[in-house]
Amino acid sequence: MLSRANFALILSAILSVLLGQPALANEKAEPDPAKSEYWEPIRKLMFGDREILDGKDVIRVYLATRADDASTVPVTVKAQINQTPERYIKTIYVVVERNPSPASGAFHFTPESGRAQVETRLRFEDFSHVRAIAETNDGKLWMSSRWVKAAGGCSAPSAKNRVPAALLGKMKFKFEEETIKYDEPNLVQLMIRHPNESPLAGDFDVTQVAEFVRSVTVTYDGKLIMTAEVDFSISENPSFRFYFTPHGKGELRVEVEDTHDKRFVQSITVMEGTPLPGG
Amino acid sequence: MNKMRIVSALVMAALAVADAHFAVAEGDVHSVPSPIASFDLAEIAPGNYVHYGTHEERSPRNFGDNANVGFIVGDRCVAVIDTGGSAAVGQALHQALRRVTPLPVCYVVLTHVHPDHLFGAAAFLEDNAQFIGHAELPRALAARGKFYFNTLKRDLGEAAQGSELVEPTRLVKDEWLLDLGGRRIRLHAWPVAHTDNDLTVYDELTGTLWLSDLLFVEHTPVVDGSILGFIRVLEQLRAVRAEHFVPGHGRTDASWPQALDPEVRYLKVIVTETRLALKARKTIQEAVDTVGYSEEPNWVNFEQFHRRNVTSAYAELEWED
Repeated sequence: MLSRANFALILSAILSVLLGQPALANEKAEPDPAKSEYWEPIRKLMFGDREILDGKDVIRVYLATRADDASTVPVTVKAQINQTPERYIKTIYVVVERNPSPASGAFHFTPESGRAQVETRLRFEDFSHVRAIAETNDGKLWMSSRWVKAAGGCSAPSAKNRVPAALLGKMKFKFEEETIKYDEPNLVQLMIRHPNESPLAGDFDVTQVAEFVRSVTVTYDGKLIMTAEVDFSISENPSFRFYFTPHGKGELRVEVEDTHDKRFVQSITVMEGTPLPGG
Repeated sequence: MNKMRIVSALVMAALAVADAHFAVAEGDVHSVPSPIASFDLAEIAPGNYVHYGTHEERSPRNFGDNANVGFIVGDRCVAVIDTGGSAAVGQALHQALRRVTPLPVCYVVLTHVHPDHLFGAAAFLEDNAQFIGHAELPRALAARGKFYFNTLKRDLGEAAQGSELVEPTRLVKDEWLLDLGGRRIRLHAWPVAHTDNDLTVYDELTGTLWLSDLLFVEHTPVVDGSILGFIRVLEQLRAVRAEHFVPGHGRTDASWPQALDPEVRYLKVIVTETRLALKARKTIQEAVDTVGYSEEPNWVNFEQFHRRNVTSAYAELEWED
């Protein structure tokens, strides 16, 4: 039996023939994520023959169904389970399967993260399924996905303006709450001034190495909170929003490395009762 | 031949490999009659002719005829100001121009990088004209050209046939005066506003200001550069003494400079409400879902462009201290 999405796709193909348009000109219906020809080779490369389970009770992807601005599409990936020392999400992989570099990021978490969740902004080259694959500490893989229609018209995935050289690597923290709370997960946004150049943009000089952020390491009080391996699917001025669980006064420290081997470090000392930047 | 340099090797490859029939031989586009049946022109000031594009989303039915395009006729030659969203629109403009004057086209002004304004340029390749753009235009074309070309094919299909990106042959850094014979027009390159490569054209003889997408009328304004920069540039434009003006989208009976007011108000509402959302520690998604909806009744295509503007404004304003 045909799934509804498939049925709609066939309908649109028939309609487009009637209108005299090529069948693939404008994919308006949502294709079946399980039958994606894009996903199969990516899955093989990333996970080999490992089984991938239905992830709706472990991991979910949240984003608008239409990419309003192809250069800046907010995406949130949220764990549906708590991070406990017994059971936790070790890694979340984010895949935009129709991007030229589909594997957008691998985010590694620990029980200290409090909650395995990351919100970032991605570039979209085309309509695409966005997939989140969670690896739990028992080695199992869980997947959820969302279909996103790219914006049309004049929106483009490349950067809007130049990032002034003097601002490169400048970082800012923004906290969800006005002050920190001990022993529970606190949300913080990390912002990085960086062009996050795509080596695929037409203006890019092929003799140069495109400069984009490749890793982000976050610690609190010396303990690892999150590490991220990312690429140029992340928007210019990369932004990451995630949880950490402080058990007392301490230093939240971020180290960022880009593909030109530049290192940027930023830290902030936080304690209960003192105001936090963010508003 | 130098006038028809295609934007980049990548685009050439896309033309040649992806879809052989898109690689129309040079000259073909020019002589083929446009498939567009009716193409209205209005002479809004002596020698200034405007074709008003549609607010519909681009489709094979409208050939991407979305932007306002036109030309200014001097005693010696003609300056074309934008060429429309496909070769078909460029051809229709060229044919409409020929019904008005036999004079040669000496300049084609590419007001900025957006596809609804410049994909008709191929229709003017045979005119031996200079293609003029903002100094930042080549960089923007190189970064976005391939993507724009692919999405044009996706949205227009066969109706995109013959469309090409044409690289500017002359660049404007600040101002440049062009002589059309008995009529001078002044090109002005602006700092980052609607995009980082906006040009305006001012006809000194009639006081006609062609703003392209620095002015949206009816159609929701689009921010693809800097919202604060856009507001600053509009304040400067307000000081221009214009007898007539041409927006990039839409038409109006409003007088100058009051015609700028709705757009300025729209942009300021977004800035104010986005700053409030940031202060309230709202996320970019929460801001996009809430900011600026009081403006919805005032604009067409609001859903399509407004959320994008707030996204862009948030990403800009979150760096303010």
